[in-house]
Amino acid sequence: MIDYVTKVIPGKMANGYKNFTNNEWFFPIHFPGHPNVPGALQLEALAQMLTIAITTLPGNKGRVTHAISHTVRFRREILPGEKLEIETKVLSWKRGLCKGFGKGIVAGEVACEAEMTITIPEILDQYIPKK
Amino acid sequence: MTNSEKYSKVFEKFFSINKSKLKKLKYQSIPQWDSVGHMSIIGNLEDTFKITMDMDDIIDFNSFEKGKKILKKYKIKI
Repeated sequence: MIDYVTKVIPGKMANGYKNFTNNEWFFPIHFPGHPNVPGALQLEALAQMLTIAITTLPGNKGRVTHAISHTVRFRREILPGEKLEIETKVLSWKRGLCKGFGKGIVAGEVACEAEMTITIPEILDQYIPKK
Repeated sequence: MTNSEKYSKVFEKFFSINKSKLKKLKYQSIPQWDSVGHMSIIGNLEDTFKITMDMDDIIDFNSFEKGKKILKKYKIKI
């Protein structure tokens, strides 16, 4: 759900954008006569961008990430042809657990924002008590 | 607030658990204390007591009571 990453500071932030062209697969079904970007996909775009900020840290390239919890607020519909600017910030990163914030901006307006927790299980699992 | 109160408060607040249940609290004995909860509680304790725990201690930290013994290593008397 990302077209381009425009700026990354590993472990700190990642920005980029996604252009929602008229031929996106979901517009005909979400919804007929009133196409707009599904909220779940907006959140996915934010989460993927936050992931970039973590997987660009040394040693994390190619590692699998999982979502843990997201709290999202949608503020504006995103329509066919619009560009979603994505800005994410890492609030904390420790032992495979990342807490972060992201917002999506369309035409200068905040369209969505989310508090997100993601993990790299391969790292996290090294620190959990053995049963 | 004593160290003991601070220690209990972290668990009570983060896991939303009653103080009376802390003594028997173990890793995975409640849904909140899963792998993510574990990392979060360790982070909270580190922030509260201004310490950084070693990897082996984080792995050994498998109960409320065991945690008290582990914190002693960091000169935190509970």
